[in-house]
Amino acid sequence: MSALMARVRAIPSWQLTLFVALLALGFLVAAQLATEAPRVRYTTQERTPLVETAGELLAQQDALKVAVLDLRAQIQEAEGAGTGSAAVVAELNDQLQEARIAAGLIALTGTGIVLQLEDSLEPAAPDANEGDYLVGSLDLRTVIEELWTAGAEAIAINGERITPTSAIIDIGPSVLVNSAYLAPPYQVTALGPPDLYARLSASPGWVDFIIARAQKYGIRVQFAEPESVDIPAFVGTVTLRYARPEATSSPAPLSDPEG
Amino acid sequence: MHRRRNQLTIAAVAFVLGLLVIVQLRAQAGGAAFAGLSSQELTVLVANLNARNDQLRREVATLERELATLVQNEQRGDASIDELRADLRRVRLYARLDAAVGPGVTITIRGPIDGSGVEALVNELRNAGAEALAIEAIRLVPGVVVSGAPADVSVDGLLLGDPLVIHAIGAPDKLTGSLTRSGGIIAQLAATQPDVLVEVLPIDTVRVPATDRDLVPENGRPRL
Repeated sequence: MSALMARVRAIPSWQLTLFVALLALGFLVAAQLATEAPRVRYTTQERTPLVETAGELLAQQDALKVAVLDLRAQIQEAEGAGTGSAAVVAELNDQLQEARIAAGLIALTGTGIVLQLEDSLEPAAPDANEGDYLVGSLDLRTVIEELWTAGAEAIAINGERITPTSAIIDIGPSVLVNSAYLAPPYQVTALGPPDLYARLSASPGWVDFIIARAQKYGIRVQFAEPESVDIPAFVGTVTLRYARPEATSSPAPLSDPEG
Repeated sequence: MHRRRNQLTIAAVAFVLGLLVIVQLRAQAGGAAFAGLSSQELTVLVANLNARNDQLRREVATLERELATLVQNEQRGDASIDELRADLRRVRLYARLDAAVGPGVTITIRGPIDGSGVEALVNELRNAGAEALAIEAIRLVPGVVVSGAPADVSVDGLLLGDPLVIHAIGAPDKLTGSLTRSGGIIAQLAATQPDVLVEVLPIDTVRVPATDRDLVPENGRPRL
């Protein structure tokens, strides 16, 4: 034993350093190869610039959202300070505030619940579709419909306000809401009456959803009833390009065929 | 001399080691950001993000113009009544508080479709940029839900007949293309609900009514 120690001590220190460095190098090379399956190696070349572009676009989106919110606040302040007939300005501002709340352009706080949906942790059955074990756009649309039916008055998913124009679509294992990229876990915040959760859990549609998704595939659904919930404002364009106000409101839709 | 060569060897190994650590960390960070998305899905994501950012840029430009006019008026001591009214018109139209008119499509559905089938069509229309939607005479706003079993579909509690018609304002070609594309929502419905027939008709002038719902929440107040 002492002979072995003596031999180790006799090895120059630079050789020991080199040995440790080469060991780490070998480990890293192996780790690099292990994390890249052949298919991934094949697609990395085109995937990397796309990931970078998407990241840059998300950062731009965040900055643009801040700019929109800031401008809206400035406009609201300027409109409130408008000169002219004080009564007319006050009346118009009241109407504007009400319209903005109706449009989802004002952040709200009030009673409500938060639901969290997460992908299943259960292993997929051999003949099953792996997508069934993930939270998808259809799950989120179902939850939103059930919340509206239960009496929710405003809803947001991971900070994206649901508006009259909100579409929810799948993109791989994630979703797009208002064309914003959202990844699980999904927190669905709903503002509504204090008994919103009681109403939701009594709904046959909600029970069906829990049986079909949570019990069958292990989709994880949790809920919280905080003292109050915050719903963010919708940050997007409210300027419509094709729709314009009709001069006189018609009681029912009437579409004129082309030509 | 011998010692110098050893040092150089260690330096070279350390350099390669550092390089590999960075590559490994970057690969892991990049993967985590959009884990599970294929190149094709990333392309769709980039297109969507570009579209949303373009919309946001247009909104910023509109709001900047609006703010500049308000500030000018204030400096001149002029009233901004016209600007307030224009802003009110714009927001009311978006909020579905006013009836709207514009180009778009009508979708006529014949056969025993169920509520989720109609919701899927509406979701696809929204994804294709529909700006205003109505099912028969019911304007679609947050809170209005289409539900029910096949041939027993209701919207906002109103039982719908057969055929039922969806009215959508938006770019007619884009709305039509999105619905009727190969593998799109109509093709999916044809596979899952083969007795249902969906017809899309581009229209010059679609009219949708104002909502009759009170959209101001009773249980919420503006967050300051």
